[in-house]
Amino acid sequence: MRDLLAIVTCVAIVALPAAALDKGAGKATYEKTCALCHGPGLAGAPKYGNKAEWAPRLKAGTAKLYTSALKGTANGMPGKGGNLSLSDDEVKAAVDHLLASVGGASPPAAAAKAASAAPAAVVAAPAPKVASAAPVAVVAAPPPVAPPTAPRTAPAAPVATASADPNAFNRLLTAPGKRNPSPAEDGIHDPSNPGTHALQPPLTALAGMPPLNAGNRVNWVSSLEGGKIRPRWDRDDGAAAAVVMDLNIVREVKGSMPDVVYPHKQHTEWLDCSNCHPQIFIPQKGANQISMASIMLGQKCGVCHGKVAFPVSECRLCHSKKKEGTMPAAAVAGARK
Amino acid sequence: MERILPSGLRARLAGIVLAAAACAGLVLAAAAPARAEYGDVVINNHSDAAGVRPVVFPHWFHRVRFRCKVCHSDLGFKFQAGGNDINMVKIIDGQFCGACHNGAVAWSIENCDLCHSGKPGTPTQVHESTIQKLVGTPPPTASALPGAKR
Repeated sequence: MRDLLAIVTCVAIVALPAAALDKGAGKATYEKTCALCHGPGLAGAPKYGNKAEWAPRLKAGTAKLYTSALKGTANGMPGKGGNLSLSDDEVKAAVDHLLASVGGASPPAAAAKAASAAPAAVVAAPAPKVASAAPVAVVAAPPPVAPPTAPRTAPAAPVATASADPNAFNRLLTAPGKRNPSPAEDGIHDPSNPGTHALQPPLTALAGMPPLNAGNRVNWVSSLEGGKIRPRWDRDDGAAAAVVMDLNIVREVKGSMPDVVYPHKQHTEWLDCSNCHPQIFIPQKGANQISMASIMLGQKCGVCHGKVAFPVSECRLCHSKKKEGTMPAAAVAGARK
Repeated sequence: MERILPSGLRARLAGIVLAAAACAGLVLAAAAPARAEYGDVVINNHSDAAGVRPVVFPHWFHRVRFRCKVCHSDLGFKFQAGGNDINMVKIIDGQFCGACHNGAVAWSIENCDLCHSGKPGTPTQVHESTIQKLVGTPPPTASALPGAKR
């Protein structure tokens, strides 16, 4: 039965191993992963059961829709709906379930039913189906695809096209070529302003500095330590030296995260004591309540970290002291003090 | 969004999307094409009302040349975008930006468009800050809307 089923669908649609999955699996996957957006239609996602929204997409063909679901789209759909633990077959089964709601394609189970009910049809089936927009529908014979009764004015093409850039769906990542754009291209400066083009492009200033995977993509602290930059400590006096205090404060944290080591040294290279004390941090052990939530909302460390100093994505730059007893001795010895 | 949804749904959906974005911080990021430098501060306290472009302050540019302490301690800049009541009179008087932007340390104030170089209507913000990623970019100010005079 399973083989028969596979033959039917493989002929109907190029590469459709999803046929091996039953209708229930597709529904379950849909409800677990896809329904979040395709239920209410979040972020422009075409809604479950809404034929008008699906009609232009169905025109591109089911295979194309599988690709969109698996790889993501330029419109913002993440590959596999963001749940990369799903197998390709599970995703395809979910697509089938979603398409069945708009009569675009039948779920494989329905195809199976049709096949078992009328096996002769299988033999005759292949030829006419290949080029159809919704081939399986022909086999299972549910109501035919609804014509696009309310066609969109905009072209439907981009809807179903997978993005050329495999990481495009992840808007938290910036491709290397798109980092540190020049002022005229950065979306904040006005390119029609003559002065914009006179400003220094970031890369000419930041080139050669040690890299970091966040923020300005350079490690400011290493740059200063290594002499790559020599920012003045005093506005007028280029020879003035920073008043550096070398004192590490260890903050024990809850959970399994390594403890935080706060280095006064690296901070006093840049800042004056009065920048932090006593307004932001009371200079007394145990007097400051700090949480990641408050940091992310711009308080405590978040006054600078997450705005201009390296952001919270760089966990281990602060959480750098392994807890004792939680690691093998060798790892503890190797951990930074 | 206009392309995909009928107008009746749009307002309702926009609400849902905004709520989701506030929680997840993901959806709205797609609507923010700006990719200026981390820490670039747009200051639009008075600019739009005065008919000039908002100021873009590039933190990275100043960090290469001065330590934080020079501006945030010696010159009295608070750690808050838009939180310093800066105006041109004060700058001419040598306060805030005017401590350096006086023709001696850095370019002086007649080079209006070197500082006032932002897109009209861009709201006050720290670009790419964690808060901005979590909560979203503030809505454009009135002068950014179509038909607004410059």
